[in-house]
Amino acid sequence: MNKELEHSFVELLEAHQNIIHKVCRLYTNNYDAHNDLFQEITIQLWRAYPKFRGDAKFSTWMYRVGLNTAITLYRKSKRTINTQDFEGVAFKMTADTYDDTEEQQLKILYKAVHQLNDIEKALIFLYLEDKDYREISETMGISEVNARVKMNRIKTKLKTILNP
Amino acid sequence: MDELELLKKDWNKDTDKYPKLTYNEIYKMILKKSSSIVKWIFIISVLEFIFWTALSLSLKDSESMKRFEQYNAEAVFIPLMVIGYIVLAYFFYLFFKNYKTISATDSTKVLMENILKTRKTVKYYVAFNLVYLVASTVVVLFLELDRDQLVINKAQLAAADGEILKFYAVFIIATVLVLAAAIGILLLFYWLIYGILLKRLNQNYKELKKLEV
Repeated sequence: MNKELEHSFVELLEAHQNIIHKVCRLYTNNYDAHNDLFQEITIQLWRAYPKFRGDAKFSTWMYRVGLNTAITLYRKSKRTINTQDFEGVAFKMTADTYDDTEEQQLKILYKAVHQLNDIEKALIFLYLEDKDYREISETMGISEVNARVKMNRIKTKLKTILNP
Repeated sequence: MDELELLKKDWNKDTDKYPKLTYNEIYKMILKKSSSIVKWIFIISVLEFIFWTALSLSLKDSESMKRFEQYNAEAVFIPLMVIGYIVLAYFFYLFFKNYKTISATDSTKVLMENILKTRKTVKYYVAFNLVYLVASTVVVLFLELDRDQLVINKAQLAAADGEILKFYAVFIIATVLVLAAAIGILLLFYWLIYGILLKRLNQNYKELKKLEV
């Protein structure tokens, strides 16, 4: 493989690696699984990279491959169990500026998001990443209207999880 | 929704909490091999093609096949074989064509559809093989009863005892049972492998499709 291509890819990925970490954060709930998924996404990105054209933003392109890998391509038997509390395992919440109730609320929120199914997680992820419905619909391959409807349903679902 | 806004704020707040991989760590990763389900489907599919081809080749050289040669039934066997190979070539081409279209840069839905389509090609090939297996068995059974000297002798003995119907019944039922057992084992095998491999994909695809209703 072309050394120059390798170099440019690794540099770009190093700069944008947080996108992958965020996907992993949503779809896994322990350190090993996180690293495992991170690696698979990196491999998939690298494979697709020769066809990457500058006309799309590198980050936008990463969202797509990252989510596709997490939802569809990734397969490991030690895949996560949803009930585990991820936040406590891999990352420490930086909650210094929060008061207790807000911190508590966030903990419950993250836990609730973890209980969503793979597709719902993808929608929430894109929403959290501030993507508009056009981009969400293009990434997922559904219509904008359906993306909106689904997003509203997820919000309701989260509410139900939060206030059973 | 207030809660979601709160979540969004926190989500984008500080990104320092994520591990920071170095250039070298990432570089090492791209040298590693993928363990995606597409790779598994590819491996299993190729094994299936090999399995069915090997099966037909090994049957061709077997003892029983040599016995069939005395039946003078080339007019039946050769077309059966040619059909088998043409179908194999066709499915193999289709399988590769579909496999090549699988791309992680497609939308989630298109990616899933392409994977399922690739998988379906192999499924149809297996279905064809099962039908082919049944059809060939019926042909062979008919030829055996009609032309195999050993079988004919036994049939004549049975007929002398007035048990010709029983003889045919046993012969046919035994064949059907063996065939059913073989197909049963194969189907169970497929059901297990693909059931495990595609469970999540099928679930997620259903979930996506549900959005369109």
